[in-house]
Amino acid sequence: MNNPITLTIDGQSVTVPSGSTVLDAARRLGLNIPTLCHLADVKENRPSCMACVVRIGNDTRLSPACSTKVTAGMVVASETPEVKAARKAAMELLFSDHLGDCISVCQRVCPARLQIPAAIRLVAAGRMREAIALVKENVVFPGVLGRICRAPCQAGCRRGKYDGAVAIQLIEREVANQDMSAAEPFLPACAPPTGKRIAIVGAGATGLSAAFFLMQDGHHCTVFDDHAEPGGQMRYGVPETELPRAVLDGEIEVIKRLGLELRLNTRLGRDVHLAELRRKFDAVIIAVGNMQKTDPAGLGVEATARTIRIDASTYQTSVHGVFAAGSAIRSGYDPARSVGDGRILAECVDGFLKGRTHHVAHKEFTSTIPKMPLEEYQELAKGSVATLSVRELITEAETAAGRCCHCDCRSAHNCRLRILAENYEVDPKAYMGEHRRKFEFIRQPAGVIFEPGKCITCGICVELAAQSRAPLGLTFIGRGFDLKIGVPLNGPLADGLQQVAEDCVRHCPTGALTFEDELRNVIKNSSRP
Amino acid sequence: MTMPDANHEAFVDRLLERTGLLPAATIPILQGIQHEYRHLPEPALRRVSEVTGIRLSDLIGVATFYHQFRLREVGLHTMRVCHGTACHVKGSENIHNHIHRQLQIYDGHDTCPDNEFTVERVACLGCCTLAPVVQVDHTTYGNLTADTIGVMVEDFRATRHETIADVDTVASRRNGHGAEIRVGLGSCCMAKGSDELFHLLRRIVKDFGIDAPVKRVGCVGMCHQTPIVEVRLPGGPVAFYAKVGPGEAEGIVRRHFRPMSVRRRFARWIDRTLEQLVTADGGLEKISRHTLDTSGKAVTAFMERQIRIATEGFGEMDPLDLDEYLAQHGFAALGQVLGRDPEETIAAITKSGLRGRGGAGFPTGVKWLRVREAQSHDSVKHVIVNGDEGDPGAFMDRMLMESFPYRVIEGMLISAYCVGAEEGYIYVRAEYPRAVSRLREVIRRMEERRFLGNGIMGGKFNFKLHIFEGAGAFVCGEETALIESIEGRRGIPRMKPPYPSDCGLWQRPTLINNVETFTMVPWIVRNGAAAFAAHGTEKSKGTKVFALAGKIDRAGLIEVPMGITVREIVEDIGGGVPNGKKFKAVQIGGPSGGCIPSALDHTPVDFEALASAGAIMGSGGLIVLDEDDCMVDMARYFMSFLRDESCGQCTFCRIGTTRMYEILDKICQGKGRRADLDELTQLAALTTQGSICGLGRTAPNPVITTLRYFRDEYKAHIAGRCPAGKCKPLIQYVVQDNCTGCTLCAQHCPVNAIPLTPYRRHRINTDLCTRCDVCRVDCPENAITVMSGGVECPGHSHTEPLPEPLAKHE
Repeated sequence: MNNPITLTIDGQSVTVPSGSTVLDAARRLGLNIPTLCHLADVKENRPSCMACVVRIGNDTRLSPACSTKVTAGMVVASETPEVKAARKAAMELLFSDHLGDCISVCQRVCPARLQIPAAIRLVAAGRMREAIALVKENVVFPGVLGRICRAPCQAGCRRGKYDGAVAIQLIEREVANQDMSAAEPFLPACAPPTGKRIAIVGAGATGLSAAFFLMQDGHHCTVFDDHAEPGGQMRYGVPETELPRAVLDGEIEVIKRLGLELRLNTRLGRDVHLAELRRKFDAVIIAVGNMQKTDPAGLGVEATARTIRIDASTYQTSVHGVFAAGSAIRSGYDPARSVGDGRILAECVDGFLKGRTHHVAHKEFTSTIPKMPLEEYQELAKGSVATLSVRELITEAETAAGRCCHCDCRSAHNCRLRILAENYEVDPKAYMGEHRRKFEFIRQPAGVIFEPGKCITCGICVELAAQSRAPLGLTFIGRGFDLKIGVPLNGPLADGLQQVAEDCVRHCPTGALTFEDELRNVIKNSSRP
Repeated sequence: MTMPDANHEAFVDRLLERTGLLPAATIPILQGIQHEYRHLPEPALRRVSEVTGIRLSDLIGVATFYHQFRLREVGLHTMRVCHGTACHVKGSENIHNHIHRQLQIYDGHDTCPDNEFTVERVACLGCCTLAPVVQVDHTTYGNLTADTIGVMVEDFRATRHETIADVDTVASRRNGHGAEIRVGLGSCCMAKGSDELFHLLRRIVKDFGIDAPVKRVGCVGMCHQTPIVEVRLPGGPVAFYAKVGPGEAEGIVRRHFRPMSVRRRFARWIDRTLEQLVTADGGLEKISRHTLDTSGKAVTAFMERQIRIATEGFGEMDPLDLDEYLAQHGFAALGQVLGRDPEETIAAITKSGLRGRGGAGFPTGVKWLRVREAQSHDSVKHVIVNGDEGDPGAFMDRMLMESFPYRVIEGMLISAYCVGAEEGYIYVRAEYPRAVSRLREVIRRMEERRFLGNGIMGGKFNFKLHIFEGAGAFVCGEETALIESIEGRRGIPRMKPPYPSDCGLWQRPTLINNVETFTMVPWIVRNGAAAFAAHGTEKSKGTKVFALAGKIDRAGLIEVPMGITVREIVEDIGGGVPNGKKFKAVQIGGPSGGCIPSALDHTPVDFEALASAGAIMGSGGLIVLDEDDCMVDMARYFMSFLRDESCGQCTFCRIGTTRMYEILDKICQGKGRRADLDELTQLAALTTQGSICGLGRTAPNPVITTLRYFRDEYKAHIAGRCPAGKCKPLIQYVVQDNCTGCTLCAQHCPVNAIPLTPYRRHRINTDLCTRCDVCRVDCPENAITVMSGGVECPGHSHTEPLPEPLAKHE
């Protein structure tokens, strides 16, 4: 059986043992054929997802690479535009019958890209120290935003349509408060110094936020501002009744402790000039905020009457190495957006300093649940952690956190369908049909959550359960479009899965099976090459 | 959890003694339980799992895959509404709605409030010439209209305790004089009451002491004329009587035979007179109406183009009579084959040019040779007869299995001997109980006489034959899904290669051929490859059996030479479209096939020619469509069928068919956009190339051909008009000026959408109207027309004849 067989894939010759599949051969060549339903040694020759199709010879059909055995002299087309289009279509069809939000609405609309549901899960679990760390991965001013943000997240909260939005802003504020009143407020670790120096003009939300993240990357940051104190609009544009200065000072203090160099009472165009900064520093950030006091023409970068022109994908201005963000590039002031801009800017500048061309991912891939009827909201509400209310010493924030339905996907960070969808630039709405599945949320005793709407009926869990000889097991129920996976006689999933639950959750290619305590489904800010 | 129930346990234990405990017995076990309880009670399933070790997940997986099984309890009686192609074009959707209304079943339920009836959809009952058809328990009612549904329900309630003796239990009898009265007893003839007639004729003949046996014969083919009685007298002319009702039986007998004994005749006369007084049923004078002049133009036209190879001896032979089969060269071919080198026989089959009649047209001889040459891991090979005829609108295989069971098996035995197989299966579709019972009986007789079992025909050839009853899944017509099904699993097609010829049932080399293919084999062996190849075209040899139904004057089963044109079939054999309507298209090849427009009716029936026209030969369903049929609706109908019948395994088929259906539905509702046509084309292409099995790959064909030939109709729908007047959201019923105010429409409207206005022109409230068509059919003045987009739909302007009388069979 082990006579080697030679075949050609996309013009490259490869030799594999007989009995191998086209997928094996392609992987040997380093070709990344996408697979969802395939699980080596567990589920073979029962292809279902069709994400791995290839064209064999002149066949008019496409064949699934995972289940097609190689033959001598076989000629396979794998990474051709036509084959890739079919793979993409297979995934788009799967998405048309895949009901779930990869990223929750609240997080999607947050200009500061706060990881809301994940942070709420930590709060709900009482893990406040981890919560602040997670929040500060994106938002350096949670105390400030917890008070003055316009909170689009709450307007988007799915629970809002049911019985009122979750008090996300309150939770954010509480996380910040607890951190600040701690003996040792959270301080992120910094990478070893890179020796690179960055000049940041403007000590407002954008500039300070950018400094915070760039210092963590190991760069030295100098912030220039014409005011006597840092904080920009947060200090000089917001009344103290709305934002106590102690909160602002506390959060700025954390930034300072990372090694920030502040050059106050210094005005760009008067005390320092852009050309000079560009000469002395490795990169320059213009985050001067509202341009009313600044003459854009005098700055030395391309600008319109009110805003500085940037390349939307790199945040770079017309001058090489000079970046701009915040209110300087848009009309109107939104503190959350300014904070978020600082974060994105940091990525861009870090990329620039490390010699990478960094492109901002404006939109992370997500599938979306279309309009939901009331009964589905009720189903959705099952996702909240009701048990919280009996805990002692419960804070207001924890109560609020308990109301979150966690409509985001707990597998968003490792869902294979989502990862492939990003690679193939899938449009999840391409084949959106009239009828969709019902939203169902099934909490299982062993801490497993089953969301049938996300299941792509790949059968991996059915197979794992069968091979473990679990007495009840899982099964395919029905056929055709109504095919679904379930436990025989409507038993609980835990009965069907028993000892293989963990395996099944691990191998589920989507978020149909997840663990309830999957707290940090953090999607790293993605960047595309 | 339901408590274990001692009754269930005892029943299951008894059942398992019969079926055995192996996983392969899963489907027969579930069938046994379903038969007993009419659903699958949980305690019974748990008991099965406990005793056999088959996991509950596997039992449920199988039970939910096949239509036959139900996990919920059902009503006292099951009413199965046929939604086959022929029934669809004749209004099965309306019939279904009327039944729901009549039985007060609303809101997605399927059982009426008093639990008397559960109403189910069934893909096809194979009685296409009686469309529309409903089966209530074991009684089949055909030619239904909205008005006769009540009659059907009442008739069923009144007669459900009466049972008619099974015609197949009657022993075959012959006499020396050659006089015979033949009654065609195929399933669809029986649905028109031919079995009742058969028993009645037997009683009359017995009472009169006439020395002529009443003989059960197979399908006569002229389904449009059933029940057919043929009277043969030695030396005398042959007389045919068509559409014979019970009242006419005696007259027919009396016309040809003289009662023997005066005393008997007198006793009989008293009986009949009394009965006639009660029923006021005239006898003799009615007969002439039914006399079928076989030399007449209609019959000649129907018969003369036909060539009998698979259906040799049609309408003459008793399907169950082994001696008669032997007398008609039965098993002569097998005898010849057993005496020579199998390769010689295979060479002859190859030379004959016979290609698989299941649809794909693979050369039969080549397949046999492959199986013969394949190595089996334990030197065992299998032969399977694929009798899972699932195409709605096709019933050829059912007819062949019912009428020529010996021939089917003879063909199979020949192949088994050639490929070296000693065990085989006939896989018969769940909806064909008559075929199953006849095959079982025939197998029993053959085993008794050593045509099956060990030492067949006194030689060394052994063969064990099993019957496997399908459980209701169209996809099991696909050979690898069929194999999965026999092995006791969900009918999910396997990846090919390996092909069954190398690795099939139980991983052994397996020959699978369609019923019709096997049926042709004995004739080829007896008459030689050249005689077979003399018929047909260059690449498609021999004949093909078709089920001709739909909007056609003479529907029936026909066997025609390959190469005959569509027009010849429709016009010459079928007598064209009735009621003066225009022939629009033929749907050929079932859900995997396509619609060939009337403009292409010169297309020859040949594998390649049909494929290039966008259709396929398929198994042989041929539904004629007229101007009343909406082609977008046809495409939607097939897509709805395929969406339900897809096994659900691969993405393109599972989701692609559904999305195509949704787009077609949207277009039929008048909500389509121009861009939808592009999306349809795109989805069709994807599903064709990306699906795993034949079902998925051919599923888009109905969409592709209708888009190709009837694009204008799609565009009309998008513009808000259904030219055929079929798509309900796009049509209105309008009362014209010639209304006399007779109030019939108002009285018959099931939703009170027509206010009663005697002697005045009636008006239809379009908001209430459900477009059920009752008023238009009932209007004596033809004053009600169908309008779409402000234009009258021409198809509906013609007068339709009175519907045929309700057909019924127990």
